[in-house]
Amino acid sequence: MLLANKGFVNDAHSAASSKGVPGIRVVGESVACESTVIPEIEEGVAAAMDDVIEALTSPLSPEEKSPEQQTGKTPRVAFKGTLQEVNQFFYRKGWGDGLPIIPPTEEAVAEMLTGTDLPPDHIVTKIIPRKGKATIEKIAVNAVMAGALPTHMPVLIATVEAFADPKARFDTFEVSTGSWAPSLTINGPIRRDIHINCSSGSLSPGDISNSAIGRAVGLIVKNIGGARKAIEDMGVIGNPGKYSLVIGEDEEASPWEPLSVERGFTKEDNTVTVFFPNTFIQSVPGGTDAKGILSTLAAMGTTSMSSVILIPSWAKVLAGEGYSKQDVKDYIAEHSKPVVIPGFEEMASSDRIDTDNLMILVAGGPGSFIGLLKSVGPRFFNNALVTKKIRLPKNWDKLAAKYGILKPIYERY
Amino acid sequence: MNRFLIMLSIELLAVMVVGSLAMAQGPGSYDPRKPDLQYEVLSPWADVDPIQLRGISPRLTSFDGKKIGLYVNTKRAAMPIANAIDKELKDIFPDIDTIIFHSNLPNVNEIKTENKDKFIAWAKSVDAVIAVVGD
Repeated sequence: MLLANKGFVNDAHSAASSKGVPGIRVVGESVACESTVIPEIEEGVAAAMDDVIEALTSPLSPEEKSPEQQTGKTPRVAFKGTLQEVNQFFYRKGWGDGLPIIPPTEEAVAEMLTGTDLPPDHIVTKIIPRKGKATIEKIAVNAVMAGALPTHMPVLIATVEAFADPKARFDTFEVSTGSWAPSLTINGPIRRDIHINCSSGSLSPGDISNSAIGRAVGLIVKNIGGARKAIEDMGVIGNPGKYSLVIGEDEEASPWEPLSVERGFTKEDNTVTVFFPNTFIQSVPGGTDAKGILSTLAAMGTTSMSSVILIPSWAKVLAGEGYSKQDVKDYIAEHSKPVVIPGFEEMASSDRIDTDNLMILVAGGPGSFIGLLKSVGPRFFNNALVTKKIRLPKNWDKLAAKYGILKPIYERY
Repeated sequence: MNRFLIMLSIELLAVMVVGSLAMAQGPGSYDPRKPDLQYEVLSPWADVDPIQLRGISPRLTSFDGKKIGLYVNTKRAAMPIANAIDKELKDIFPDIDTIIFHSNLPNVNEIKTENKDKFIAWAKSVDAVIAVVGD
Protein backbone atom coordinates (compact mmCIF):
# COMPACT_ATOMS: atom_id res chain seq x y z
CA MET A 1 0.00 0.00 0.00
CA LEU A 2 1.01 3.60 -0.46
CA LEU A 3 0.69 6.45 2.01
CA ALA A 4 0.46 9.90 0.43
CA ASN A 5 -0.88 13.32 1.19
CA LYS A 6 -4.60 13.26 0.46
CA GLY A 7 -4.10 15.73 -2.39
CA PHE A 8 -1.95 13.17 -4.20
CA VAL A 9 -4.29 10.18 -4.01
CA ASN A 10 -5.56 10.54 -7.59
CA ASP A 11 -2.00 10.95 -8.81
CA ALA A 12 -0.97 7.78 -6.99
CA HIS A 13 -3.82 5.81 -8.55
CA SER A 14 -2.91 7.03 -12.05
CA ALA A 15 0.74 6.14 -11.47
CA ALA A 16 -0.21 2.65 -10.28
CA SER A 17 -2.50 2.08 -13.26
CA SER A 18 0.13 3.19 -15.76
CA LYS A 19 2.50 0.66 -14.20
CA GLY A 20 -0.07 -2.13 -14.59
CA VAL A 21 -1.16 -2.44 -10.96
CA PRO A 22 -4.39 -0.44 -10.78
CA GLY A 23 -5.53 -2.00 -7.52
CA ILE A 24 -2.76 -0.65 -5.30
CA ARG A 25 -4.36 0.68 -2.17
CA VAL A 26 -3.65 4.31 -1.44
CA VAL A 27 -4.26 5.92 1.93
CA GLY A 28 -4.40 9.69 2.11
CA GLU A 29 -2.86 11.49 5.06
CA SER A 30 -3.01 15.13 6.10
CA VAL A 31 0.64 15.84 6.87
CA ALA A 32 1.73 19.08 5.20
CA CYS A 33 3.68 18.21 2.07
CA GLU A 34 7.43 18.12 2.70
CA SER A 35 6.78 18.91 6.36
CA THR A 36 9.79 19.28 8.65
CA VAL A 37 7.71 19.52 11.84
CA ILE A 38 7.98 16.19 13.62
CA PRO A 39 4.99 16.58 16.02
CA GLU A 40 2.78 17.47 13.03
CA ILE A 41 4.05 14.44 11.11
CA GLU A 42 3.44 12.13 14.07
CA GLU A 43 -0.07 13.49 14.51
CA GLY A 44 -0.90 13.05 10.82
CA VAL A 45 0.47 9.52 10.71
CA ALA A 46 -1.37 8.53 13.89
CA ALA A 47 -4.62 9.77 12.35
CA ALA A 48 -4.05 7.61 9.26
CA MET A 49 -3.00 4.38 11.03
CA ASP A 50 -6.46 2.76 11.11
CA ASP A 51 -6.67 3.20 7.34
CA VAL A 52 -3.10 1.91 6.90
CA ILE A 53 -3.87 -1.26 8.86
CA GLU A 54 -7.15 -1.70 6.99
CA ALA A 55 -5.33 -1.37 3.66
CA LEU A 56 -2.86 -4.07 4.69
CA THR A 57 -5.40 -6.51 6.05
CA SER A 58 -8.87 -6.24 4.51
CA PRO A 59 -9.52 -9.05 1.99
CA LEU A 60 -9.07 -8.34 -1.69
CA SER A 61 -12.03 -7.72 -3.93
CA PRO A 62 -12.27 -9.78 -7.14
CA GLU A 63 -11.20 -6.70 -9.15
CA GLU A 64 -8.18 -6.14 -6.90
CA LYS A 65 -7.21 -9.81 -7.30
CA SER A 66 -7.67 -9.89 -11.03
CA PRO A 67 -8.22 -6.53 -12.70
CA GLU A 68 -10.16 -6.41 -15.93
CA GLN A 69 -7.76 -6.22 -18.85
CA GLN A 70 -7.98 -3.06 -20.95
CA THR A 71 -7.59 -2.78 -24.72
CA GLY A 72 -5.88 0.59 -24.53
CA LYS A 73 -7.93 1.72 -27.53
CA THR A 74 -9.89 4.96 -27.67
CA PRO A 75 -12.80 5.40 -30.11
CA ARG A 76 -11.45 7.49 -32.99
CA VAL A 77 -14.58 9.64 -33.24
CA ALA A 78 -15.35 11.25 -29.91
CA PHE A 79 -18.54 13.25 -30.43
CA LYS A 80 -20.88 15.04 -32.82
CA GLY A 81 -22.54 18.36 -32.06
CA THR A 82 -22.56 22.10 -32.60
CA LEU A 83 -19.53 24.22 -31.89
CA GLN A 84 -20.80 24.98 -28.41
CA GLU A 85 -21.70 21.36 -27.71
CA VAL A 86 -18.30 20.13 -28.88
CA ASN A 87 -16.59 22.65 -26.64
CA GLN A 88 -18.68 21.69 -23.65
CA PHE A 89 -18.10 17.98 -24.29
CA PHE A 90 -14.33 18.41 -24.51
CA TYR A 91 -14.27 20.62 -21.44
CA ARG A 92 -16.23 18.09 -19.38
CA LYS A 93 -13.94 15.30 -20.55
CA GLY A 94 -10.99 17.29 -19.25
CA TRP A 95 -9.45 17.49 -22.73
CA GLY A 96 -9.20 21.26 -22.92
CA ASP A 97 -7.23 24.05 -21.32
CA GLY A 98 -10.09 26.32 -20.33
CA LEU A 99 -10.22 28.21 -23.63
CA PRO A 100 -12.53 27.38 -26.55
CA ILE A 101 -11.17 24.82 -28.98
CA ILE A 102 -11.43 24.44 -32.73
CA PRO A 103 -13.41 21.21 -33.45
CA PRO A 104 -10.97 18.55 -34.70
CA THR A 105 -13.12 17.26 -37.53
CA GLU A 106 -11.89 14.71 -40.04
CA GLU A 107 -11.46 17.49 -42.61
CA ALA A 108 -9.60 19.81 -40.24
CA VAL A 109 -7.26 17.04 -39.13
CA ALA A 110 -6.64 16.04 -42.76
CA GLU A 111 -5.65 19.63 -43.50
CA MET A 112 -3.35 19.68 -40.47
CA LEU A 113 -1.71 16.48 -41.72
CA THR A 114 -0.57 18.30 -44.85
CA GLY A 115 2.09 19.76 -42.58
CA THR A 116 4.07 16.54 -42.49
CA ASP A 117 5.15 13.74 -44.81
CA LEU A 118 4.86 11.20 -42.00
CA PRO A 119 1.84 8.86 -42.10
CA PRO A 120 -0.97 9.45 -39.57
CA ASP A 121 -0.28 6.19 -37.75
CA HIS A 122 3.45 6.87 -37.32
CA ILE A 123 4.27 6.84 -33.61
CA VAL A 124 6.75 9.59 -32.72
CA THR A 125 7.07 8.34 -29.16
CA LYS A 126 4.96 7.28 -26.21
CA ILE A 127 4.41 10.16 -23.83
CA ILE A 128 4.54 9.54 -20.14
CA PRO A 129 3.03 9.23 -17.58
CA ARG A 130 0.24 7.37 -19.41
CA LYS A 131 2.58 6.24 -22.19
CA GLY A 132 0.06 7.50 -24.74
CA LYS A 133 1.00 6.86 -28.33
CA ALA A 134 1.97 10.16 -29.90
CA THR A 135 0.89 9.28 -33.40
CA ILE A 136 1.04 11.93 -36.06
CA GLU A 137 -2.76 11.92 -36.16
CA LYS A 138 -3.13 12.51 -32.40
CA ILE A 139 -0.61 15.34 -32.58
CA ALA A 140 -2.65 16.79 -35.46
CA VAL A 141 -5.94 16.48 -33.55
CA ASN A 142 -4.53 18.40 -30.61
CA ALA A 143 -2.96 20.93 -32.96
CA VAL A 144 -6.33 21.61 -34.59
CA MET A 145 -7.91 22.08 -31.17
CA ALA A 146 -5.25 24.66 -30.32
CA GLY A 147 -5.86 26.66 -33.48
CA ALA A 148 -2.49 25.73 -34.94
CA LEU A 149 -1.65 25.74 -38.64
CA PRO A 150 -0.29 22.85 -40.73
CA THR A 151 3.00 24.76 -40.87
CA HIS A 152 3.27 24.25 -37.12
CA MET A 153 3.25 20.45 -37.39
CA PRO A 154 7.02 20.11 -38.00
CA VAL A 155 7.72 22.11 -34.83
CA LEU A 156 5.25 20.05 -32.81
CA ILE A 157 6.73 16.77 -34.01
CA ALA A 158 10.27 17.90 -33.16
CA THR A 159 9.09 19.05 -29.74
CA VAL A 160 7.53 15.68 -29.00
CA GLU A 161 10.83 14.08 -30.06
CA ALA A 162 12.59 16.36 -27.57
CA PHE A 163 10.26 15.23 -24.79
CA ALA A 164 11.31 11.65 -25.51
CA ASP A 165 14.97 12.50 -24.93
CA PRO A 166 15.85 11.32 -21.41
CA LYS A 167 18.14 14.33 -20.92
CA ALA A 168 15.10 16.62 -20.90
CA ARG A 169 13.72 14.81 -17.83
CA PHE A 170 10.25 15.40 -19.18
CA ASP A 171 9.05 12.63 -16.88
CA THR A 172 9.67 14.84 -13.89
CA PHE A 173 9.00 18.31 -15.21
CA GLU A 174 5.65 17.69 -16.87
CA VAL A 175 4.01 16.61 -13.63
CA SER A 176 6.16 17.99 -10.83
CA THR A 177 4.99 20.16 -7.97
CA GLY A 178 7.47 22.79 -9.20
CA SER A 179 5.14 23.79 -12.07
CA TRP A 180 7.81 23.69 -14.75
CA ALA A 181 6.53 24.60 -18.22
CA PRO A 182 7.91 23.51 -21.58
CA SER A 183 9.91 26.37 -23.13
CA LEU A 184 10.46 26.18 -26.88
CA THR A 185 13.12 28.27 -28.59
CA ILE A 186 12.97 28.20 -32.36
CA ASN A 187 15.96 28.79 -34.63
CA GLY A 188 16.44 28.72 -38.38
CA PRO A 189 14.63 30.00 -41.45
CA ILE A 190 11.32 28.51 -40.31
CA ARG A 191 10.99 31.42 -37.87
CA ARG A 192 10.39 33.77 -40.79
CA ASP A 193 8.28 31.28 -42.78
CA ILE A 194 5.77 30.90 -39.97
CA HIS A 195 6.21 34.34 -38.41
CA ILE A 196 7.56 33.29 -35.03
CA ASN A 197 7.80 36.53 -33.11
CA CYS A 198 11.38 37.10 -32.00
CA SER A 199 10.96 40.78 -31.22
CA SER A 200 8.59 42.97 -29.20
CA GLY A 201 6.38 40.99 -26.88
CA SER A 202 7.60 37.59 -28.10
CA LEU A 203 6.32 35.91 -24.97
CA SER A 204 3.00 37.77 -24.90
CA PRO A 205 -0.19 36.59 -26.63
CA GLY A 206 -0.98 37.86 -30.11
CA ASP A 207 1.10 35.86 -32.60
CA ILE A 208 -0.53 32.73 -33.94
CA SER A 209 2.70 30.72 -34.13
CA ASN A 210 4.05 31.60 -30.68
CA SER A 211 0.59 31.12 -29.18
CA ALA A 212 -0.85 28.11 -30.99
CA ILE A 213 2.32 26.01 -30.99
CA GLY A 214 2.66 26.38 -27.23
CA ARG A 215 -1.02 25.76 -26.70
CA ALA A 216 -0.88 22.62 -28.84
CA VAL A 217 2.10 21.38 -26.84
CA GLY A 218 0.09 21.82 -23.64
CA LEU A 219 -2.82 19.84 -25.08
CA ILE A 220 -0.47 17.11 -26.34
CA VAL A 221 1.07 16.75 -22.88
CA LYS A 222 -2.40 16.50 -21.39
CA ASN A 223 -4.27 14.36 -23.90
CA ILE A 224 -1.50 12.14 -25.24
CA GLY A 225 0.70 12.01 -22.15
CA GLY A 226 -2.21 11.94 -19.72
CA ALA A 227 -0.79 14.67 -17.48
CA ARG A 228 -3.89 16.46 -16.28
CA LYS A 229 -3.82 19.41 -13.92
CA ALA A 230 -4.21 18.48 -10.25
CA ILE A 231 -4.67 14.80 -11.20
CA GLU A 232 -1.27 13.82 -12.56
CA ASP A 233 0.30 17.26 -13.13
CA MET A 234 0.76 18.25 -9.51
CA GLY A 235 2.17 21.75 -10.03
CA VAL A 236 1.42 23.49 -6.75
CA ILE A 237 1.03 27.06 -7.93
CA GLY A 238 0.82 26.33 -11.64
CA ASN A 239 2.47 28.30 -14.39
CA PRO A 240 0.99 30.58 -17.07
CA GLY A 241 3.83 29.35 -19.30
CA LYS A 242 1.90 26.10 -19.64
CA TYR A 243 -0.45 27.97 -22.01
CA SER A 244 2.49 28.85 -24.22
CA LEU A 245 6.17 29.63 -23.83
CA VAL A 246 7.44 29.86 -27.39
CA ILE A 247 10.06 32.30 -28.62
CA GLY A 248 12.37 32.61 -31.57
CA GLU A 249 15.91 33.91 -31.60
CA ASP A 250 16.30 37.16 -33.51
CA GLU A 251 19.23 35.78 -35.46
CA GLU A 252 19.24 38.65 -37.93
CA ALA A 253 19.65 41.22 -35.15
CA SER A 254 22.13 39.21 -33.12
CA PRO A 255 25.85 39.91 -33.27
CA TRP A 256 26.57 36.32 -32.28
CA GLU A 257 26.09 32.85 -33.75
CA PRO A 258 22.57 31.44 -33.27
CA LEU A 259 21.74 29.05 -30.47
CA SER A 260 21.27 26.27 -33.03
CA VAL A 261 24.86 26.70 -34.27
CA GLU A 262 26.16 26.68 -30.68
CA ARG A 263 24.37 23.40 -30.26
CA GLY A 264 25.93 21.69 -33.28
CA PHE A 265 23.55 22.51 -36.10
CA THR A 266 24.03 24.73 -39.14
CA LYS A 267 22.49 28.15 -39.56
CA GLU A 268 20.25 26.72 -42.28
CA ASP A 269 18.88 24.03 -39.97
CA ASN A 270 15.57 24.62 -38.25
CA THR A 271 15.68 23.61 -34.61
CA VAL A 272 13.68 23.67 -31.43
CA THR A 273 15.46 23.81 -28.08
CA VAL A 274 13.45 22.59 -25.13
CA PHE A 275 13.85 23.02 -21.40
CA PHE A 276 11.51 23.47 -18.48
CA PRO A 277 11.68 26.76 -16.59
CA ASN A 278 9.36 27.63 -13.74
CA THR A 279 10.41 31.21 -13.16
CA PHE A 280 10.40 34.33 -15.31
CA ILE A 281 11.96 37.54 -14.09
CA GLN A 282 12.94 40.77 -15.77
CA SER A 283 15.19 43.67 -14.90
CA VAL A 284 16.59 46.77 -16.48
CA PRO A 285 20.39 46.70 -16.47
CA GLY A 286 22.22 48.64 -13.79
CA GLY A 287 24.12 50.42 -16.56
CA THR A 288 23.97 50.28 -20.33
CA ASP A 289 27.62 49.44 -20.89
CA ALA A 290 28.96 45.89 -20.77
CA LYS A 291 29.80 46.16 -17.08
CA GLY A 292 26.28 47.30 -16.21
CA ILE A 293 24.63 44.60 -18.29
CA LEU A 294 26.87 41.77 -17.09
CA SER A 295 26.62 42.68 -13.42
CA THR A 296 22.83 42.69 -13.79
CA LEU A 297 22.86 39.22 -15.38
CA ALA A 298 24.93 37.91 -12.49
CA ALA A 299 22.67 39.56 -9.92
CA MET A 300 19.43 38.20 -11.40
CA GLY A 301 20.09 34.76 -9.91
CA THR A 302 20.89 33.09 -13.20
CA THR A 303 21.52 29.36 -12.86
CA SER A 304 22.15 26.42 -15.13
CA MET A 305 19.03 25.62 -17.12
CA SER A 306 18.32 29.27 -17.71
CA SER A 307 17.59 31.29 -20.81
CA VAL A 308 18.93 34.80 -20.58
CA ILE A 309 16.90 36.86 -23.04
CA LEU A 310 18.98 39.80 -24.20
CA ILE A 311 17.48 42.43 -26.46
CA PRO A 312 19.56 43.05 -29.59
CA SER A 313 20.72 46.45 -28.25
CA TRP A 314 22.40 44.90 -25.21
CA ALA A 315 23.81 42.00 -27.22
CA LYS A 316 25.44 44.54 -29.55
CA VAL A 317 26.87 46.46 -26.59
CA LEU A 318 28.43 43.28 -25.23
CA ALA A 319 29.73 42.17 -28.62
CA GLY A 320 31.02 45.66 -29.25
CA GLU A 321 33.08 45.48 -26.08
CA GLY A 322 34.52 42.16 -27.23
CA TYR A 323 32.32 39.65 -25.42
CA SER A 324 31.31 36.45 -27.18
CA LYS A 325 28.30 34.45 -26.03
CA GLN A 326 30.66 32.10 -24.23
CA ASP A 327 32.36 35.06 -22.51
CA VAL A 328 28.97 36.20 -21.23
CA LYS A 329 28.21 32.72 -19.94
CA ASP A 330 31.61 32.49 -18.28
CA TYR A 331 31.07 35.86 -16.61
CA ILE A 332 27.71 34.72 -15.25
CA ALA A 333 29.17 31.41 -14.06
CA GLU A 334 31.95 33.21 -12.25
CA HIS A 335 29.94 36.01 -10.68
CA SER A 336 26.42 34.66 -10.16
CA LYS A 337 25.58 33.74 -6.61
CA PRO A 338 23.01 30.97 -6.17
CA VAL A 339 19.89 31.85 -4.24
CA VAL A 340 20.24 29.93 -1.00
CA ILE A 341 17.10 28.91 0.84
CA PRO A 342 17.92 27.99 4.46
CA GLY A 343 17.67 24.21 4.66
CA PHE A 344 18.65 23.76 1.02
CA GLU A 345 22.27 24.88 1.23
CA GLU A 346 23.47 21.56 -0.15
CA MET A 347 21.35 21.90 -3.29
CA ALA A 348 22.55 25.45 -3.85
CA SER A 349 26.19 24.48 -3.45
CA SER A 350 25.76 21.70 -6.03
CA ASP A 351 24.17 24.08 -8.50
CA ARG A 352 27.38 25.40 -9.98
CA ILE A 353 26.54 26.93 -13.31
CA ASP A 354 27.10 24.58 -16.21
CA THR A 355 27.50 26.92 -19.17
CA ASP A 356 26.53 24.17 -21.62
CA ASN A 357 23.03 24.41 -20.19
CA LEU A 358 22.85 28.18 -20.03
CA MET A 359 21.24 29.87 -23.03
CA ILE A 360 22.05 33.40 -24.11
CA LEU A 361 19.18 34.24 -26.40
CA VAL A 362 18.92 37.41 -28.46
CA ALA A 363 15.25 38.34 -28.67
CA GLY A 364 12.82 41.04 -27.68
CA GLY A 365 12.12 44.51 -28.97
CA PRO A 366 13.08 48.09 -28.33
CA GLY A 367 13.38 49.01 -24.68
CA SER A 368 15.72 48.20 -21.85
CA PHE A 369 14.54 45.09 -20.03
CA ILE A 370 16.47 41.85 -19.78
CA GLY A 371 14.47 38.63 -19.39
CA LEU A 372 15.43 35.48 -17.56
CA LEU A 373 13.61 32.16 -17.79
CA LYS A 374 15.09 29.82 -15.24
CA SER A 375 14.52 26.47 -13.66
CA VAL A 376 14.75 26.67 -9.92
CA GLY A 377 16.29 23.55 -8.46
CA PRO A 378 16.34 21.13 -11.39
CA ARG A 379 20.07 20.33 -11.49
CA PHE A 380 19.19 17.73 -8.93
CA PHE A 381 17.73 15.73 -11.82
CA ASN A 382 20.80 15.89 -14.06
CA ASN A 383 18.75 17.31 -16.87
CA ALA A 384 20.01 19.22 -19.89
CA LEU A 385 18.87 21.42 -22.73
CA VAL A 386 17.63 19.35 -25.64
CA THR A 387 17.74 20.60 -29.24
CA LYS A 388 16.02 18.75 -32.07
CA LYS A 389 16.06 19.41 -35.78
CA ILE A 390 12.73 20.43 -37.28
CA ARG A 391 12.14 18.42 -40.45
CA LEU A 392 10.04 20.10 -43.11
CA PRO A 393 7.73 18.30 -45.52
CA LYS A 394 8.50 18.25 -49.23
CA ASN A 395 5.73 20.74 -49.99
CA TRP A 396 7.03 23.26 -47.45
CA ASP A 397 7.35 26.22 -49.78
CA LYS A 398 3.73 25.89 -50.89
CA LEU A 399 2.52 25.44 -47.32
CA ALA A 400 4.51 28.40 -46.07
CA ALA A 401 3.11 30.55 -48.87
CA LYS A 402 -0.44 29.39 -48.21
CA TYR A 403 -0.48 30.00 -44.46
CA GLY A 404 2.16 32.70 -44.31
CA ILE A 405 -0.33 35.31 -45.46
CA LEU A 406 -2.00 35.14 -42.07
CA LYS A 407 -0.64 38.12 -40.18
CA PRO A 408 -2.30 40.70 -37.94
CA ILE A 409 -2.63 44.19 -39.37
CA TYR A 410 -2.93 46.69 -36.56
CA GLU A 411 -4.73 49.82 -37.71
CA ARG A 412 -3.83 53.10 -36.08
CA TYR A 413 -6.44 54.72 -33.88
CA MET B 1 -26.32 51.19 -60.16
CA ASN B 2 -29.70 50.78 -58.49
CA ARG B 3 -30.22 50.15 -54.79
CA PHE B 4 -30.80 46.39 -55.31
CA LEU B 5 -27.48 45.93 -57.11
CA ILE B 6 -25.64 47.91 -54.43
CA MET B 7 -27.09 45.76 -51.65
CA LEU B 8 -26.31 42.58 -53.60
CA SER B 9 -22.74 43.71 -54.13
CA ILE B 10 -22.30 44.46 -50.43
CA GLU B 11 -23.74 41.07 -49.50
CA LEU B 12 -21.50 39.23 -51.96
CA LEU B 13 -18.49 41.15 -50.68
CA ALA B 14 -19.36 40.20 -47.10
CA VAL B 15 -19.69 36.54 -48.05
CA MET B 16 -16.34 36.64 -49.83
CA VAL B 17 -14.60 38.31 -46.88
CA VAL B 18 -16.03 35.85 -44.37
CA GLY B 19 -15.25 32.95 -46.67
CA SER B 20 -11.66 34.00 -47.28
CA LEU B 21 -11.11 34.59 -43.56
CA ALA B 22 -12.39 31.10 -42.84
CA MET B 23 -9.96 29.62 -45.37
CA ALA B 24 -6.98 31.62 -44.18
CA GLN B 25 -7.50 30.85 -40.52
CA GLY B 26 -6.46 27.26 -40.97
CA PRO B 27 -7.94 23.88 -40.13
CA GLY B 28 -11.39 23.77 -38.64
CA SER B 29 -12.20 27.43 -39.05
CA TYR B 30 -15.57 28.36 -37.64
CA ASP B 31 -18.10 29.47 -40.20
CA PRO B 32 -20.21 32.19 -38.56
CA ARG B 33 -22.85 31.75 -41.25
CA LYS B 34 -23.69 28.31 -39.89
CA PRO B 35 -23.98 28.45 -36.08
CA ASP B 36 -25.92 25.18 -35.95
CA LEU B 37 -23.46 23.25 -38.08
CA GLN B 38 -22.75 19.79 -36.68
CA TYR B 39 -19.13 18.82 -36.15
CA GLU B 40 -18.12 15.18 -35.92
CA VAL B 41 -14.87 15.38 -34.02
CA LEU B 42 -11.93 13.05 -33.50
CA SER B 43 -10.69 12.16 -30.05
CA PRO B 44 -7.50 13.83 -28.81
CA TRP B 45 -7.04 11.14 -26.15
CA ALA B 46 -4.26 8.75 -27.08
CA ASP B 47 -4.30 4.99 -27.38
CA VAL B 48 -1.94 3.06 -25.16
CA ASP B 49 -0.43 -0.36 -25.58
CA PRO B 50 -2.43 -2.80 -23.49
CA ILE B 51 -0.33 -3.89 -20.57
CA GLN B 52 -0.88 -7.01 -18.56
CA LEU B 53 -2.66 -5.76 -15.46
CA ARG B 54 -1.67 -7.47 -12.26
CA GLY B 55 -3.63 -7.96 -9.09
CA ILE B 56 -2.23 -6.83 -5.78
CA SER B 57 -0.67 -9.21 -3.28
CA PRO B 58 -2.82 -11.08 -0.75
CA ARG B 59 -3.35 -9.12 2.44
CA LEU B 60 -2.00 -10.01 5.83
CA THR B 61 -4.29 -12.06 8.06
CA SER B 62 -2.33 -10.98 11.10
CA PHE B 63 0.68 -8.85 11.98
CA ASP B 64 2.12 -11.46 14.36
CA GLY B 65 5.84 -11.79 13.74
CA LYS B 66 5.55 -10.14 10.35
CA LYS B 67 8.23 -8.13 8.63
CA ILE B 68 6.93 -4.84 7.19
CA GLY B 69 8.92 -3.03 4.52
CA LEU B 70 8.89 0.75 4.51
CA TYR B 71 9.82 2.18 1.11
CA VAL B 72 10.98 5.77 1.54
CA ASN B 73 11.55 8.12 -1.40
CA THR B 74 13.77 11.22 -1.59
CA LYS B 75 11.26 13.81 -0.38
CA ARG B 76 12.42 15.28 2.88
CA ALA B 77 9.22 14.42 4.77
CA ALA B 78 9.33 10.80 3.69
CA MET B 79 11.80 9.52 6.26
CA PRO B 80 10.19 11.29 9.24
CA ILE B 81 6.82 9.91 8.12
CA ALA B 82 8.31 6.41 7.83
CA ASN B 83 9.81 6.77 11.30
CA ALA B 84 6.41 7.79 12.66
CA ILE B 85 4.74 4.79 10.98
CA ASP B 86 7.45 2.52 12.36
CA LYS B 87 6.78 3.78 15.85
CA GLU B 88 3.00 3.50 15.50
CA LEU B 89 3.17 -0.04 14.11
CA LYS B 90 5.49 -1.22 16.84
CA ASP B 91 3.31 0.36 19.50
CA ILE B 92 0.28 -1.50 18.16
CA PHE B 93 2.06 -4.75 17.14
CA PRO B 94 5.11 -5.12 19.40
CA ASP B 95 6.43 -8.29 17.77
CA ILE B 96 6.66 -7.03 14.20
CA ASP B 97 9.88 -6.12 12.47
CA THR B 98 10.34 -3.29 9.99
CA ILE B 99 12.96 -2.79 7.30
CA ILE B 100 13.40 0.52 5.53
CA PHE B 101 14.49 0.86 1.90
CA HIS B 102 15.58 4.44 1.32
CA SER B 103 15.65 5.44 -2.34
CA ASN B 104 18.48 7.84 -3.10
CA LEU B 105 17.38 8.90 -6.59
CA PRO B 106 14.38 11.11 -7.33
CA ASN B 107 11.62 9.97 -9.66
CA VAL B 108 13.07 6.68 -10.81
CA ASN B 109 11.90 3.14 -11.24
CA GLU B 110 14.02 1.44 -8.61
CA ILE B 111 14.53 -1.74 -10.64
CA LYS B 112 16.07 0.32 -13.44
CA THR B 113 18.79 1.75 -11.21
CA GLU B 114 22.01 0.48 -9.72
CA ASN B 115 19.96 -0.27 -6.61
CA LYS B 116 18.01 -2.97 -8.45
CA ASP B 117 19.49 -6.02 -6.70
CA LYS B 118 19.30 -4.41 -3.28
CA PHE B 119 15.70 -3.38 -3.91
CA ILE B 120 14.61 -6.83 -5.08
CA ALA B 121 16.28 -8.48 -2.10
CA TRP B 122 14.52 -6.07 0.25
CA ALA B 123 11.12 -6.63 -1.40
CA LYS B 124 11.52 -10.41 -1.20
CA SER B 125 12.44 -10.22 2.47
CA VAL B 126 9.22 -8.57 3.67
CA ASP B 127 5.60 -9.69 4.15
CA ALA B 128 4.03 -6.35 3.24
CA VAL B 129 5.15 -2.93 2.03
CA ILE B 130 4.11 0.58 2.93
CA ALA B 131 5.39 3.07 0.38
CA VAL B 132 5.98 6.52 1.84
CA VAL B 133 6.33 9.36 -0.66
CA GLY B 134 6.55 12.42 1.55
CA ASP B 135 3.96 14.37 -0.44
